[in-house]
Amino acid sequence: MLGFLYARQTGLDDPVRLRRAESTRRVLSLELNHNRDVDRIHGNGINTLDIEVIDGRYMLSGGSDGVIVIYDLENNSKKPQYTCKAICTVGRSSRHVHKFSVETVQWYPHDTGMFVSSSFDKTMKVWDAETLKPADEFQFDGNVYCHHMSPIARKHSLVAVGTKDPKVQLCDLKSGSRIHILQGHRGEILSVRWSPRYEHILATASTDSRVRIWDVRRASGSLFTLDQHNGDKSKASSEAVNTAHNGRVNGLCFTADGLHLLTTGTDDRMRLWNSGTGENTLVNYGKVVNESRKGLKFTVSRGCSPEFVFVPCGSSVAVYGLHSGELITMLRGHYNNVDCCEFHPDYQELYSGGKDCNILAWVPVLRQPDVDDEETNTKRGGTQAAINPAFADAWSSDED
Amino acid sequence: MDQTMRDKLSQLVEELTTSGEPQLNQDKMKEVKKICRVSDSYIDHFYHLIMTQLNQEHAEIRLSAFQMVNEVFSRSHHFRVLLITNFQEFLELTVETDAEQPLPPPKEVARKLRTLAIQTVQSWHATYGEAYKKLSLGYHFLKQIKKVDFQDVEARTLAERKRQEEKQKRLERIYKEKLDKAKQEMEEMTSGIEETLTEMNNCIRLLATDDFNLFDEDSAASISTTAEDQSDQPCCSKDLSNEHNGKMMEKKTDKEQTDESSDESDMEEVPDEDAFLRSTGLMSYRYQLELDVSADLKVRETEENEALVNTVRDLHRLVTTRHLPLVQSWVQVFTKVGVEEELMRRATELKKSLEHVLRKHEYLHIDYKDRERLVMRAPEDGEDDDDDFVDVPEKEGYEPHIPEHLRTEYGLDETPSTSTSGTKAKPSRPVVKCAVPPVSSSLSRLKRRMCDEEQDPTCAAATLRVLKQKLHPAPSTSVPDGSSESAVSSSDQSNMTKNKASFKAPVIPFGMDLYYWGEEQPTAGKIIKQTSQHQFWVPHEVEEEVENKELSAQMKSRCITYAGKFKPVEHKCKAPMPNGSLCERQDRVKCPFHGHIIPRDELGRPVNPEDALRLEREKRKREEEQPDWRDPELMREIEAATGEDLGSSKTYGKGKKGNKGKSKKKYPNLTDLKQKANTSRSRLEKKVFNKSSMRRVTEVMNKMDKRKHEKFANQFNYALN
Repeated sequence: MLGFLYARQTGLDDPVRLRRAESTRRVLSLELNHNRDVDRIHGNGINTLDIEVIDGRYMLSGGSDGVIVIYDLENNSKKPQYTCKAICTVGRSSRHVHKFSVETVQWYPHDTGMFVSSSFDKTMKVWDAETLKPADEFQFDGNVYCHHMSPIARKHSLVAVGTKDPKVQLCDLKSGSRIHILQGHRGEILSVRWSPRYEHILATASTDSRVRIWDVRRASGSLFTLDQHNGDKSKASSEAVNTAHNGRVNGLCFTADGLHLLTTGTDDRMRLWNSGTGENTLVNYGKVVNESRKGLKFTVSRGCSPEFVFVPCGSSVAVYGLHSGELITMLRGHYNNVDCCEFHPDYQELYSGGKDCNILAWVPVLRQPDVDDEETNTKRGGTQAAINPAFADAWSSDED
Repeated sequence: MDQTMRDKLSQLVEELTTSGEPQLNQDKMKEVKKICRVSDSYIDHFYHLIMTQLNQEHAEIRLSAFQMVNEVFSRSHHFRVLLITNFQEFLELTVETDAEQPLPPPKEVARKLRTLAIQTVQSWHATYGEAYKKLSLGYHFLKQIKKVDFQDVEARTLAERKRQEEKQKRLERIYKEKLDKAKQEMEEMTSGIEETLTEMNNCIRLLATDDFNLFDEDSAASISTTAEDQSDQPCCSKDLSNEHNGKMMEKKTDKEQTDESSDESDMEEVPDEDAFLRSTGLMSYRYQLELDVSADLKVRETEENEALVNTVRDLHRLVTTRHLPLVQSWVQVFTKVGVEEELMRRATELKKSLEHVLRKHEYLHIDYKDRERLVMRAPEDGEDDDDDFVDVPEKEGYEPHIPEHLRTEYGLDETPSTSTSGTKAKPSRPVVKCAVPPVSSSLSRLKRRMCDEEQDPTCAAATLRVLKQKLHPAPSTSVPDGSSESAVSSSDQSNMTKNKASFKAPVIPFGMDLYYWGEEQPTAGKIIKQTSQHQFWVPHEVEEEVENKELSAQMKSRCITYAGKFKPVEHKCKAPMPNGSLCERQDRVKCPFHGHIIPRDELGRPVNPEDALRLEREKRKREEEQPDWRDPELMREIEAATGEDLGSSKTYGKGKKGNKGKSKKKYPNLTDLKQKANTSRSRLEKKVFNKSSMRRVTEVMNKMDKRKHEKFANQFNYALN
């Protein structure tokens, strides 16, 4: 640490290097911290989380009961103990609340005054974050599984919507109309993602176990389909050609730089693809338990030197090295299946929501002061024990 | 880390968890704690051991393991960290948070485990919840998601409560339906019931005029206790004549007479009252006259009240079979559901009045005639014997004392002891004696029939005969004319001996053999053959007689089917059975299971030594004839492979004792889960659902199907399916 600081001071290192090192360290030390709580508002499972990118302060959550909550993540109290408060809620009593489970929520990428939510009640609503009233509402024919707005788009304001219908719908927020459909899939669309690198590139995942990459400017069809065998026909059975997984594909995530794409499927696999060529990089993540029938929201870290993937895996969150495929750790804390997790890039915190109605904040452990003095060490131990007597062993003497 | 210590720890954990006891053995637990205290690595090991044991599908193992967890949890921080990291699984295994992963049997232990686990988690949360985030999360999870009520002593989970609620709801719905039905029924039926009630009340009132005040509760009670009427009035006929109801008169006089006769010993004790006796014909001033008025209040069916009695009878049947159960069911439903008072009151009132009427009816003791008798009698009414029928009251069962004047009507001779009553100085002339001149065969037959009747235990004559025999050997000294009595008895006896032969002779239908009794049958067994059937042409020899031996034997002999008396078998087979008891079969000669029945003692051993020897020999022979599929070696192998008991262990002791240790249970202290499955249902299932029987059933059903197809094969309709 000191070495990094010194190198940074003397200008030997790239400015990002210290930052990367520290954020990597912090990600590696993520754990459940009892100083950080998130208000329990949801009375039902939490399906989706989203943290806005402008201030990194507000977090949206959508629950299976149709409730949408906005949390304030910033701790202004100057105390380590902090409970993330729910600023406002679209509760069941609200007139505009979604009737059924909210599947996806997303902040408008350029402003916190608006967010979009989609639900199993076949609607997608565009909300005014100030008044908590829907500014616009899109009706669809089937359950809406997912939607996504491009995080970088300047030239368009399209929302890609995946529904029960195999056609991907594109809704234009400017006109408030559905302007385009993308045809090609043969099953329900479980996940859609815009590339964070090219604003017209869209990836969609479907129950027909295919993942397609689209250029929305091109009307004729998808650019290409991801193939788990990289075109090696001998390995693939006839019907498994051009499939990304052997089961439903229910999760999509671009890396922060947009060069790679991660997919998860119900075949308990996670795959990393080169998003430019559609090539399977064949990173082996091992078994990633995935029984979700709906979309799975997982995330990658940002700004670390080896990047990490956080993927819900049963009742815990698995942390993998992105390119190594190595399982770093399992974050255990939920008591039921985890459905979504969201990484906070500024604080290297992870928020996860699950069916047990909890939103858990995984906070990096603070670095212990580097003291090699024996005396202070024992003293510190003493003080810690004094602070928290519960950590002390309590062997009674009668066992002798 | 010391390997021996590790092994010891493993052994201790296993011993403790498989003890099957509700509490841990403190000494062993102390040792475990001592080992765990040494180092965290032991705790690691201990943790893994415990988690393995918690995963066992046996509630007792889990309970013990949980108790150990509780002991160590409060002591070691390292253990707490380990456990809390995997707290979710721990809760699944102990609190049953996952509905698809229920706690294993036995049930009561599982319930105990859950209760204990919930209480413990609560106390852990109180102590350590601050420090261990996941623990408090788990607590909240239990509390808010699983809705475990920590105050609830029964510690029911949400699912359980829901189930209970549903059950409650269902019950309520059923009750409501019942209630509605009952209400509706009540509305419909009440008027009918009330009508019946009034009708019945009126009938009863008509039958027994209410002077008795019978149906007043307390007066009825006073009447039912025998009213001892100790009046100095010499004659109580006045009282009796006061009896308003003419129907009862006859009965009462009967009563009086019997009373008198039973009181005769009293009379004898006052001999100095001769004057009174002479003047009144009564023996005493003081009669102890018992009047069982209420108990004997009997209404007999006569012609004038026949209609009434019929109605009462019908109504009674209606009330007992229909209305009362109905009303009772209403009351039951109402009490269960809890309805408005008014309805309830009405129902109970109805019930009460119904019961009251029934009670009244009981007081009446109505003597119903047999319906058949009534029908029979109707056309004969005008005939000569009608006076016999009209006056004779029905008797229910036998009466020890039969009034003198009725004796002949009963077809009995007068018992000598009763015939001595002073009031009736009629010379005792037994009917039998005068009726049986020994030569007269028709009369002897009558006599015989009477004897037959006496033989028949259902006949009144038989009981009387028994009585008579009892009375003979004990002639009372107080009887004045003992000589006549003895004469009667002696004549009786002579009659008996005379009749003995004829009594023994069988009665058989008349036949040819009797017709020619003691003579030679001339045509016995002779057949006349007619060789030609021609009308005019007559053969030379007119007829030909052929003697048939068989036929002649048939003519002379007579078949008498022997119907011997059924003698119930009194011995039992008593052969010892595998379950320790003795065979209870009562076959006459041979038990289908144990062969010829031989005398055995109470332990089932044969009494005769030669029987024992024979049995022994047979047994040995049977053992040798053991079919080869029951070869004990083979059976043991099959058992080891399938895990089912085929009974090789009891294969006649020839098998080695080697497999005894193998079959012994691994943990004898634990409740055997498999044993529980041995219910009547499972046994039946084994029989019904085993392969061969299923195959048989399917075969039969296939055959039936086939037959149908064959039958209608030529019909397009059936040919298709």
